[in-house]
Amino acid sequence: MATTPPAKSVLNALAKLRAKLFNNVYNPTNVRTGNKVLRQRLIGPTVTSWYPKQLIKVREITDMFPEFNLVNQQEKQRLEDIAKRKRRGKGAPKKGSIEKENVLQLARRKNNIPILKSILRIHL
Amino acid sequence: MNFRVLRNARVRRDIKTRETVAATELIRQAYRYITRNEQLPQKIRQQAQLMLNSFPRYARPTAIKNRCVETGRGRGIFRDSRLCRYQFRLKALNGDIPGVKKADDLEYVE
Repeated sequence: MATTPPAKSVLNALAKLRAKLFNNVYNPTNVRTGNKVLRQRLIGPTVTSWYPKQLIKVREITDMFPEFNLVNQQEKQRLEDIAKRKRRGKGAPKKGSIEKENVLQLARRKNNIPILKSILRIHL
Repeated sequence: MNFRVLRNARVRRDIKTRETVAATELIRQAYRYITRNEQLPQKIRQQAQLMLNSFPRYARPTAIKNRCVETGRGRGIFRDSRLCRYQFRLKALNGDIPGVKKADDLEYVE
């Protein structure tokens, strides 16, 4: 006995009803709604807990007891080293000066005299 | 306290990435939802995409790299112990990782 398949409208109605019953979204044309993004779990808490937390920093201790005049020896040494380097003229370059130097070097290496001249005209 | 991990610049960068991702995650997901939703007007979706592009580069979750907690090595990491393979071996042999034992297939025959 041959059976006729149900009409398309009936199937659609069924799908709509099913979606309503099971609390699903009725989306017959398969439009991308972006719900996938909303369903995703937030990864922040798991991601930030990978490395063991440093419980307390030296800075926190020194700030906590200002009356004891505690000194972070490593930090003091670092600042002293920087000051020493600066006195010898070996400090960090000024902002932007490295870039200029690099361009100049590139032009010199290529022996490109027109470019070199134009750069010099711009910068000097 | 483990200062050794914090000294590695790559680890420090990774920590920064993780913190930025956690901080910007919610708003990024909102923008992502707008861009992926085809039912919204094209202009709004484009604007959301532009906003996504304007986030700092450390806000992307794919920039996160699982590094060895002990040495900061970026390759050969066991996710469970968060250690690289060599540190895992050292610690396992030392008995620091519970439930891990060196395999021994040789049977003792009298």
